[in-house]
Amino acid sequence: MARIIVVTSGKGGVGKTTSAAAISTGLALKGNRTVVIDFDVGLRNLDLIMGCERRVVYDLVNVIQGEAGLNQALIRDKRTENLHILPASQTRDKEALTLEGVEQVLEKLSEDYDYIVCDSPAGIERGAQLAMYFADEAIVVTNPEVSSVRDSDRILGLLASRTRRAEQGQDPVVERLLITRYNPDRVDSGDMLNLDDIQEILAIKLIGLIPESEAVLRASNSGVPVTHDEQSDAGQAYLDTVDRLLGEEKPLRFHQFEKKGFLSRIFGGGRR
Amino acid sequence: MSLKVEQATTAFTFKGGMLPMTVMELSTSDPERIGAQLAGKLSQAPAFFQHTPVVLSVEKLDDTALALERLCAVCRSHRLLPVAVRGGGEGIKQSAWALGLGWFPPQEIRETRPLTTVDETSAGIDETGSGRIHRGTVRSGQQVSAPGGDLVIIGAVNAGAEVLAAGSVHVYGPLRGRALAGIHGDRQAGIFCRELHAELLSVAGTYKRLEDVDRALLGTPVQIGLKEDQLAIEALV
Ligand SMILES: Nc1ncnc2c1ncn2[C@@H]1O[C@H](COP(=O)(O)OP(=O)(O)OP(=O)(O)O)[C@@H](O)[C@H]1O
Ligand SMILES: [Mg+2]
Repeated sequence: MARIIVVTSGKGGVGKTTSAAAISTGLALKGNRTVVIDFDVGLRNLDLIMGCERRVVYDLVNVIQGEAGLNQALIRDKRTENLHILPASQTRDKEALTLEGVEQVLEKLSEDYDYIVCDSPAGIERGAQLAMYFADEAIVVTNPEVSSVRDSDRILGLLASRTRRAEQGQDPVVERLLITRYNPDRVDSGDMLNLDDIQEILAIKLIGLIPESEAVLRASNSGVPVTHDEQSDAGQAYLDTVDRLLGEEKPLRFHQFEKKGFLSRIFGGGRR
Repeated sequence: MSLKVEQATTAFTFKGGMLPMTVMELSTSDPERIGAQLAGKLSQAPAFFQHTPVVLSVEKLDDTALALERLCAVCRSHRLLPVAVRGGGEGIKQSAWALGLGWFPPQEIRETRPLTTVDETSAGIDETGSGRIHRGTVRSGQQVSAPGGDLVIIGAVNAGAEVLAAGSVHVYGPLRGRALAGIHGDRQAGIFCRELHAELLSVAGTYKRLEDVDRALLGTPVQIGLKEDQLAIEALV
């Protein structure tokens, strides 16, 4: 039986797809059979971040509508063993997904994988609710700003009421907080919420903190999940996150303001 | 398609809800004069008169001279839909009920704001006959209500969440959302919390927004209640 993990946020553009790609890559690198599913029908971009956009033939909607088999739609990741991608459709609309269809796909995948990572669309509407409905765990991606925290709070309310686990009275979905695009300088200057404030409001366990990083931009432009950039701060932060997901204790990093050194001030470098 | 897997087995559920409601405060009981003024308003703002529900407030009027039935007819002919009466004595209450209208007890304070809120469905209904204890964070978009008594929240009420009670609201945690006590008009009700950041506080319809709250009290434990028709916020010691 696979663990189903939804990566969700409410607010758009906070780093769900980046995180789904990085975390699924990390899980696979650790030897777990992993599949990552793009639920953002109509706006697919997981395949871009995973660098497999040219190999998409069939997608999740095709499978649900019986136009293709699951194995025809799954794309094997070129870099990482044990990792597959199930892309979303660019052309269909969200109505093409049905609850029953999603359930069947997840059930089948459960037989062959250890982890199923679902990249949710933004919002709190049907698409986001479908992505979270069958989840065992949720990674709630939050940026250090008020509107993002508010939306995450809203999503946590839905996780507690609009999921299969909630409706069937099973153990609740395990909720974890992933703070992304954290910029200690701007937190220090008061432009952004700090870690403690976010945690106090959302009151769920922190699974990771990803700094604002140019490495993420480089990674998505080149179609290689940032987890592969082991030298980078974001890459390391995602690897830490994966370790914590797998039950390891890891101290928190990248959350403190680092005084820029003389050289980096001259060369304008700093964090990379 | 609904995301609910199980079909609902109950025919309905009572949900506490606060709806904005226009109160029509009458300064005369003369249907002619009321009709004339309504006709004038109707031509100015036709969009407002779309069978808009209103609460007729008769608190300023002399009880005995009131012909409620005619008044309602005048309202309806101008596309206003009286749904309840506020104020007046036993006689008014009985005739309101006879006409199929709800009745609210008088509100002694004269509110200057034209809008008040009225409990959507559970006004006057005591579902549980007692209070309610909620454990855990009440999150944005969620509403927890105790239509029949006090509400105790063991946890935080986050911004965008709403807690309401016929009696008092006690929050053992930060109160960041909206809290409404005395939703059926209980003026003795209060709001108590460990940390005040509330977006809105209301006791028996008298409210304060975050803006109106003394900044020195923000983040501190407080008790809130009606004092001489004003919402008083005091340190909880
Ligand atoms: N840690 C980071 N540092 C810098 N940029 C980041 C970081 N995380 C995400 N971004 C950038 O933010 C943008 C949005 O990221 P992403 O597409 O992952 O968000 P999303 O939540 O999936 O968005 P959507 O709601 O549209 O699906 C991208 O340009 C991405 O490169
Ligand atoms: Mg996305």
